[in-house]
Amino acid sequence: MTARAVNPLDRRYALLGVMLIAPAVLIFCAVIVYPLVSALYLSLFRIFTPTLTGNFVGFANYAELMSSPEFWRSLLNTFIWTVFTLALQIIFGVAAALMLNQAMVFRSLARSLILFPYFVSTVVAVLVWRWLFNDLYGILNHTLMWMGVLSMPLDWLGSMPNAMVSVVLVGAWKYFPFVVIAVLARLQTIPEQLYEAATIDGAGAWGRFWDVTLPQLRDVLIVVILLRAIWDFKEFDLIYLLTGGGPIIATQTLPLMVYKEAFGLNEMGRASAVAVAMMLVMLVFMIVYFRALRAREEPR
Amino acid sequence: MTQPSIFRPGRRAVLGGAIAAGLAAPTIGRAQGNVTLRWWSPQTAPAQRAAYMFQIRTFEEANPSVRVAVEATSDEGYPAQMAAAFASGQVPSVVTHLPSFALATYWQNNLLEPFNDVIEMVGPQNYFEGANRIYEITPGQFAGTGIGGSAANMMWLRRDLMQAANITEVPRTWDQLRDTCRRLQRGGVFGAPLPYARNSMTSLIFICFVHGAGGSIFTPDLQVNVDNDAFRNALEFYRAMRELCPPGATGYSWGESLTAFVSGAAATGIYTGRVLANVAAQNPRIAQHVTCHMYPTISTNVPHWTFNDFPSVMIPRQAANMPVAKRFAAHLFRADGYIRQLHAAPGHVLPVLRTIYEMPEYQNNPIIEANRPAVQLMSQAAAAGHNLGWETTRHRPNVRAGQIIASHVLAEAVQRFCLNNEPMAQVVSTTAQRLEQLMRA
Repeated sequence: MTARAVNPLDRRYALLGVMLIAPAVLIFCAVIVYPLVSALYLSLFRIFTPTLTGNFVGFANYAELMSSPEFWRSLLNTFIWTVFTLALQIIFGVAAALMLNQAMVFRSLARSLILFPYFVSTVVAVLVWRWLFNDLYGILNHTLMWMGVLSMPLDWLGSMPNAMVSVVLVGAWKYFPFVVIAVLARLQTIPEQLYEAATIDGAGAWGRFWDVTLPQLRDVLIVVILLRAIWDFKEFDLIYLLTGGGPIIATQTLPLMVYKEAFGLNEMGRASAVAVAMMLVMLVFMIVYFRALRAREEPR
Repeated sequence: MTQPSIFRPGRRAVLGGAIAAGLAAPTIGRAQGNVTLRWWSPQTAPAQRAAYMFQIRTFEEANPSVRVAVEATSDEGYPAQMAAAFASGQVPSVVTHLPSFALATYWQNNLLEPFNDVIEMVGPQNYFEGANRIYEITPGQFAGTGIGGSAANMMWLRRDLMQAANITEVPRTWDQLRDTCRRLQRGGVFGAPLPYARNSMTSLIFICFVHGAGGSIFTPDLQVNVDNDAFRNALEFYRAMRELCPPGATGYSWGESLTAFVSGAAATGIYTGRVLANVAAQNPRIAQHVTCHMYPTISTNVPHWTFNDFPSVMIPRQAANMPVAKRFAAHLFRADGYIRQLHAAPGHVLPVLRTIYEMPEYQNNPIIEANRPAVQLMSQAAAAGHNLGWETTRHRPNVRAGQIIASHVLAEAVQRFCLNNEPMAQVVSTTAQRLEQLMRA
């Protein structure tokens, strides 16, 4: 049996194909593969950040992490933050989208304004919220004291559970407009006949929402929840600027721990190990996301 | 068809010329010696920035091919920014106002350029006696130089409030301080703005209390020294003061603590001389009632201990254009600019040059003139001051001090005991273990 001779034209096409795909592959390698391999590689060393010098320690960084209460507490905090802020984003997002889908005065203006928290810079948003929460000059404490709810200003960001509650609330406020955008777009495509049929069948407002709207939103909500879960899981700036992870490590999530290890303690190796552990958890989110995406794309 | 003139070049010639000029431009620039220096500082209040711009302008006038850009860092953020800068090789040319213990860490890791040349340019004879001792980590070589001194734990009092509360004596001991704060706390005014946050201010101020209890964080030969009565007494007192501080003190850093006193929300303050400038600018009605004193200690037997972070100047070893960077570092001490810089926050950063301190131009400042006893007291306190990098004259330099502060170990001890009510033994034990780990790392 002789090998089939390769057509020179095929070879040229194959070469052209490789050349055309090469830039994308190179960029992918530069921005995805290299940092990933770098993080894995660094996590096997004990490295002093400013000099990037160190020695090979194998899996010692991982072993340290597994036995570190701080790591497990940070992981738990990450889950608490992600679950609660995401739940609130979905609840407020869907509620706001339903409201904005109704015929109302200044609907266009309201639709624009509701996106404001999402577009405003995190630094600015946090500064504003810190002022609102301020014990001496914050309007929140002043209002609550004026209403007689509090006798003394409340420490919103420096004690638990207030700090976590505040961070979750600010996170929900900042990111719920994303849910509004996605859900509102889907709401506008739900056929009106479905509601008319449900009304004829005797469904009330709640019944129409539960039996018509929610099933129609299912697909978009799955995607939104997965995307927001991934983004919230790796949230850094909002939490860092609001509480810095405190009090003690009560609001310290994994991204904050990575930052602290890398630049506070100058332990780049250990920071990389935390980042890799974080990546493994996020991998689960991604697998679920891709499965959901595939399920949506498959013909029914 | 027209003949192309040698004076009217064709399109190809123009394009070729433009490309050639573009390629040659950086070379020409270098040949002409265009240099950009990056100056980092955490002290960037508007008045200070204005003084820096004056210093930059005078330097650029004397060195027309040099441009200097000021970039702000912060007291809480500089460890991360410096680590990233060193790791990436994108270092600033000159860094000012970092505490001396930060320099010690960088010096130990061979990241800094020796500063002997700059000190020679400034004139060693112009400094106050021993002003650069803290930077001589390696004998004969200086890691940096001081750009000022500070007395960060001065006690600030409101005489009008004390008078209204029938308090005549300035508190000398902790018991007296607590009693004073308790009597002054009323009508929306809190007793003191001590920090309870997980940040460097809490760590640094708590160190002052440990020394105020007669202890130290490390022994002179740098063994961890927190499992003792002094450390426990400091924690106990710090917790006792919690009820006399604003609820939000759990998030206080230098700025919030200062504002609490200046705005009148706290009856006493703990800060440097920046109080004077801020009161004058932001709340002048209390200016005549504000007085400055040494912070109390546990008893009259324990002497005062002043926290001086020894604001510094340093040059990273990787910095480009080293000779120009050194010239600029020395230029920062030229009288006209240096005095402006000091006057930007009178009493906050105190001069390290005796020659400057003695100049009428420095002394003739309205705030310094109006508060001469306070400024003198702060100058004396700062001259005898120490910090975690050099806790007492008997201590060896602690090159791990920067990392200990950045790790927030001490601030966390405060939070665990004062906010979380964790048992004393557990807090002390955890703190000792973590300090030992950091010293070993």
